Amino acid sequence: MAKTIDAKGLACPQPVLLTKKALGEENNVTVTVDNEPAVANITRLGKTMGCTLHIDKREDGTFQIHLSRDAGKIPSAPLDLSCATGPLVIAISSDRMGRGDDELGYVLIRTFIHTILSLEPLPHTVIFYNTGVKLTVKDSESLDDLKEIEKKGIAVIVCGTCLNYFGITKNLSVGVISNMYDIASTMAGAGRLVIP
Amino acid sequence: MTEMEKYHVILFDSVHHALRSEKILKGMGIPHKLIPVPRHISSDCGVCLRFTIDLRNKIEDALNGKVDIYEIRPL
Repeated sequence: MAKTIDAKGLACPQPVLLTKKALGEENNVTVTVDNEPAVANITRLGKTMGCTLHIDKREDGTFQIHLSRDAGKIPSAPLDLSCATGPLVIAISSDRMGRGDDELGYVLIRTFIHTILSLEPLPHTVIFYNTGVKLTVKDSESLDDLKEIEKKGIAVIVCGTCLNYFGITKNLSVGVISNMYDIASTMAGAGRLVIP
Repeated sequence: MTEMEKYHVILFDSVHHALRSEKILKGMGIPHKLIPVPRHISSDCGVCLRFTIDLRNKIEDALNGKVDIYEIRPL
């Protein structure tokens, strides 16, 4: 039996959750989504669940993903739902990495940000809050790295309350200003959340 | 010119020398970037300064005698 899911317009991780549920009921599932991160997340889920995948990019910009699970086939890896249910999110909560020495912490956070683009897979979103927002404004020494990160299609969201608190809102030079609803739901929807 | 060919890096034995160099270069307004030492290069301290090749002489003059440089090499 086959099941068809229309997951267009749904926010992450809904498409993945619906697909996972459907694969629990049927061996053949076709999902339609409208963004590439959803394709990547469903692909990862399919592989984890031992499915054969076929992806069609359609002219209207949507993607149709066909997943078929061979009956009786055991997934190659143990089912890791913690990874399969949402994207990788990085939350930069300070302009220092670690606690102890501020000068060293500032070196570490800059080198961490420089390293984000070499991660595999890339994160879906990088969030900045508290003093972390200072890394996203004019004259930040991490600005060139963050612009590259944004150029790669990774969402960069910056806490508006925090920019306002430090009086640097007008200096924001990368990413989009966001609120606690977005920040909390992005963090809660993450498959893995990395806070350096 | 590829990214790799465009840059050289200065390696240090100690993070403190890397930081002192960064301060000197910042003070003189010479463009550079503190980055983690790339995987294919090894160094004890883990951070290095990257700069574009055309600035090599300027940077060497600025740091000469003030910090201990382990090596300057292509990225």
